[in-house]
Amino acid sequence: MTFPQAMFLAALQGVSELFPVSSLGHTVLIPALLGWDIDRGTPQFLSFVVALHLGTALALVVFYWSTWKGIIAAFIRSVVRGRFEHSPDEKTAWLLIAGTIPVALLGIYFEKAVQRLFASPLPVSLFLVANAAIMFLGEYLRRAQHAAPGKDYRPLESLSWREGALIGLSQGLALLPGISRSGTSIVAGLLAQLNHESAARFSFLLATPVILAASVLEVPRLFTPAGAGVAAEALAGGILAGVVAYASVAFLTKYFRYNDLRPFGWYCLLVGAGCAILFAMKVIT
Amino acid sequence: MKIIAVLLALVFFVIAILYWVGMFGGVHVKHGILFAALGVLALIWLRFQSAAPTRSR
Repeated sequence: MTFPQAMFLAALQGVSELFPVSSLGHTVLIPALLGWDIDRGTPQFLSFVVALHLGTALALVVFYWSTWKGIIAAFIRSVVRGRFEHSPDEKTAWLLIAGTIPVALLGIYFEKAVQRLFASPLPVSLFLVANAAIMFLGEYLRRAQHAAPGKDYRPLESLSWREGALIGLSQGLALLPGISRSGTSIVAGLLAQLNHESAARFSFLLATPVILAASVLEVPRLFTPAGAGVAAEALAGGILAGVVAYASVAFLTKYFRYNDLRPFGWYCLLVGAGCAILFAMKVIT
Repeated sequence: MKIIAVLLALVFFVIAILYWVGMFGGVHVKHGILFAALGVLALIWLRFQSAAPTRSR
């Protein structure tokens, strides 16, 4: 992996982790399309990926810093008090916990096995098409829900624990490379009658502890000989991924105030179908 | 309910320790941390059970 390739992958990670287009899918497809011979299983590449995830997670923490301060303070207060005071921050804190447990269990037990099975270009292309279908279906069902008069959007804090857990669980689909974590959780939020802005906000808040914990636990990789071998790429890549992720989340929070998932659905459909044809016909191997 | 919370906490912490000492086919740090976190949540649940309920007027 050359330095320019590393920087390209870092920027790609920063964008695709938060846009509902599957970061894992793109890190499989783009190098294959460009003919880059990158072994994603080497210790050097894994160390590099840790730095990218860390940069992305820190960008999310910085962007939602004031929100996180309120959530953590409300959580601590509720534990100390031993009862709920039903403030929005406290409810959000417990919804995030309810949503994080199922996806953490799924990730820990199934992530490696699933990715070993499917992390090759043709299945990824097909899963990207499936990702498009999930977003189109989610938008269709949302419009159908709100076609009836009196069906208003709900605030995030009105979700039940069960709904929070189900939104979290929906992220488990993103273990399949090509299915987007943010895409599935935003769709699940829409089906729980959140609007796009609240669903996206909950999705980004849900992503933060998972990405941060997973990357922090892997930080020792950066200090191994393999990590030292890619130190420059990891440092520059981590910073670049963080800056791009920050810009992405800033853009998306504004975007989802007035827009929906369909443009991302069309993107995934076109790229996924195009890549599936190219890889199935062995135009690109 | 309190006894269930205590039992769950114990079970989760024991599983966490077993993962950390390598009883499930090698050391699994992340699995252990996840189960320790579940143990802490069970203790928080116990805390919520134990706290005095507020008196309604």
